[in-house]
Amino acid sequence: MDKSKLLFIALALTLIFAIKPYYGGEITIRLNEPTSFTLNTANYSNLIFYSLIYENFFYLKKNGEIFSNVFQEYHYDVSGKTLSLTIKDNLSFSNGKPLTARNIQVSLKIFMNSDLFAASKLSKTVKNIRVNENQVRIELLADNPDILSLLTAPELVVLAENEQSFSGMFFPQVWEKNHQLILNANPFYAGGRTYLDKVKITFNDSTPPDLFLANPNQFKENFQEFDSGIFQNIYLCFLQSDMGQNTKIALFTILKRFNEATGNKYKELRTLTSDEESPVSIKIKTMSPQKTASILKHSETKLYILASLSNLEKDLAAFLKNSNLKIETLFIDDSQLMAFLNSAAIQYLLIDKIFQKKVPAAEKISRILKESSFNQFNARYLRMLSELDEVKFSNSQELLMEQIARISEAIVNDGIIFPLFQKNYSLYISKMWPAMEIDYYGRPLLQKVSKNND
Amino acid sequence: MKKVTCSLLLLLFLYGSSALGQESAETLVTESAAFLKVFFKNRFDVQVAVVRFENDSELNDTAMQKLYQLLISNLENEKNIRISDLLINFANGRGEFNLGRVDDLHYLLDLKLIQNKSKTGLGLTIFSRLQDKIVSVKYFEKALSKGEMDFLNAKNFAFSKLGFSKLLEFESKRNLMDIQSISGSDGREQYFFYYPDEIVIYLASNMRLEKDSQFKLGWTRPVYPALHYEGKLLLLQTNQGLVLTAGNNFSSYAKVLAFRDSLWQEIQKIDFVPFKYLILNQIPYLVGASYEEGRNYFKDKIYFMPFSDPANRSGIYEKKAAPAMALDFSVQDGQLQAVHLIDRNYNYHLFSAEFEEQFPAPEKKGASLAALGGEWLAVSDYSRASDQLFFYNIQNGGQRPTYSEKITGEIQFISAGVWQNIKGFWTGVRQERDGQERFMVQFWGKRDGQK
Repeated sequence: MDKSKLLFIALALTLIFAIKPYYGGEITIRLNEPTSFTLNTANYSNLIFYSLIYENFFYLKKNGEIFSNVFQEYHYDVSGKTLSLTIKDNLSFSNGKPLTARNIQVSLKIFMNSDLFAASKLSKTVKNIRVNENQVRIELLADNPDILSLLTAPELVVLAENEQSFSGMFFPQVWEKNHQLILNANPFYAGGRTYLDKVKITFNDSTPPDLFLANPNQFKENFQEFDSGIFQNIYLCFLQSDMGQNTKIALFTILKRFNEATGNKYKELRTLTSDEESPVSIKIKTMSPQKTASILKHSETKLYILASLSNLEKDLAAFLKNSNLKIETLFIDDSQLMAFLNSAAIQYLLIDKIFQKKVPAAEKISRILKESSFNQFNARYLRMLSELDEVKFSNSQELLMEQIARISEAIVNDGIIFPLFQKNYSLYISKMWPAMEIDYYGRPLLQKVSKNND
Repeated sequence: MKKVTCSLLLLLFLYGSSALGQESAETLVTESAAFLKVFFKNRFDVQVAVVRFENDSELNDTAMQKLYQLLISNLENEKNIRISDLLINFANGRGEFNLGRVDDLHYLLDLKLIQNKSKTGLGLTIFSRLQDKIVSVKYFEKALSKGEMDFLNAKNFAFSKLGFSKLLEFESKRNLMDIQSISGSDGREQYFFYYPDEIVIYLASNMRLEKDSQFKLGWTRPVYPALHYEGKLLLLQTNQGLVLTAGNNFSSYAKVLAFRDSLWQEIQKIDFVPFKYLILNQIPYLVGASYEEGRNYFKDKIYFMPFSDPANRSGIYEKKAAPAMALDFSVQDGQLQAVHLIDRNYNYHLFSAEFEEQFPAPEKKGASLAALGGEWLAVSDYSRASDQLFFYNIQNGGQRPTYSEKITGEIQFISAGVWQNIKGFWTGVRQERDGQERFMVQFWGKRDGQK
């Protein structure tokens, strides 16, 4: 390292720890391009992106500490089974419009109606949500002192009535499609204005990023590596019950081969959660190239892919073109997917799910079954989930593993979902930003990150 | 155990050497001062100043400033001597003095420090300006050990009898932004503590503060939440009674409140944060600046608002300065003397009353500052590793460091104030210990610095 670099780092360190912190500057983050500003936390990249423009009700730190920037006070009344949230005075959205208790109530209801495991868990607990001036009172069906932890879900954010106003620490300013997105600091941010003026989100390598996601154990010299505690699983789902097994396996084989052809960017996944924690290993035998080609040659297959996997688009299109197969890929947003579910339009769907490593396997398998079986969810699965809940209370690890195995086998054997790949992520942050922290969900907390003042 | 004993001995030794270290130097100066006191004994209201000070010894410029300051401090306590402190700076072995005021003096002093083997001597010449001749020459000599030389040369400006010391310390609620005080009708000092949402008023009672009352400020939108709350309070005794202004970095306006019918009532809003009341061309003005909303620094303009009628806000004019982490005005007898500013790169700047930049000390840095009248300037350090408080003597246009003190924690604000009739500085200090944050309020004053 040359002298000027050493001097630069020394200066940076001195000023970063200045007593009056420096306000200004921008940080560059490399993420996948979002499809819109409508909240969609389907993958890790999105999880980070939307955390910049939407404010969570509560944050969960890695050490288990829960905090909120929106509420000045929260209190759980055991006898009344009520959680009272008192919103801070004079809060505003990024456009200066008031952020009120009514916005909190509406945001909470939107979350509870969403098709997410964490949302259904909360809606089962909540009886009523009332607003009284600057207070939101959440009445519960039964005593649940752990209610606050249910409110730390990363999807539970403060939404505005107007789509162009945001509650997060930044708000979108300029979007150059396929290139970059500039976010400006929200002057009304409930947690107190960030030191940074701007965040530049790049979607390619044109600008060297200060923060990005990549495979673990790389870039040791200039970056701090954080184990995000997150992994992303990719599954192939079959949304109709009358589909041929051969076609399913042929498509599965093609996707496996695609991963090999593009340098094995993803790890093979042989379970529904992760190979380390699952009691069962799922082996789906792939076909020979000739057999795959003969099965898929005559059918016009439409493979729907969630927009959160749009980073695969270019490589997958090239691969399928080279294989001379008539497979059409269509990228679809989460919100559109719900509208298609009751029609027969979607047969094959490639989805991804992100999981916190620390979350128990039982919770992960429940989430997969609920969120990925789509319209094939039936009474048998519901019973299996109830049994899983019962087993959880039994404190028997053996019984728990047995039930997880039973659910895994059922949904794979029923041909609803095939596990494909897994990707582990590390979050890399330039050493120029030593004050950065990440939360329980692997999201960088940028609020107190300040630029060196060179 | 051996190690512990050694460390203890070492500590005792260091403490002992530093405490003893300044004794000979102090005696040298005290003897010189004693001679001057005797010399001027039968003269009344004699006006004296050092106008030349040269160094021919191993001591460095810092040590020379210490010796000079000690001599001035000794003479300041004499009732019949009116000593003027004209030293602007001490550099390259010579003192630089403000000689523009020599005509007002009766006697001029010429000092020279000379080293002779292990002894150091101070030559003192007294020149009578009225008689236009040298009236006395005296030489004092002391042995200054190597340790004492080192101590004097070290960049700690303090001599025990000169220094600002911490006269009061107590814990406060978090986010305290400013403290101002005013004498009540009963002569008791009232202290106003400015928090983001309220002002709490305390009354001085012996060595304690007793809570008297409090009132909410009730800010309205737009409010810009801040990570670091900053604000300035100003108290004014006007024809219409006591008036208070409160501005900050989270509201786009400052409030002007008047105490009427036993209540604090809002009488006006101002678009900038006032923090000084001064007289320019015989017109009273409120002077201040605007914070960048939600951030910890001022924008680059200084506002002047005529303030004869608190409800009138016309005639505001502005001067361009620089965006500032801290800003204050030194004022003598209501007149603006200088503007002190710390820019966003933590560099200190000094502007004259005419807003012309002066360059007294190019390398000086800081984070927060406050001026005490036209006499003292307190500046906090800018690095979190070791916060410090520096006190500069700014009388007569000079700017000499006279004292520094290490601070545990981080100084959040400095305000000029009064405690127990002693003028000095209030500091708000954030401390963190074992993950627990505390906010301490301290008062720093010179024990001889009566109001």
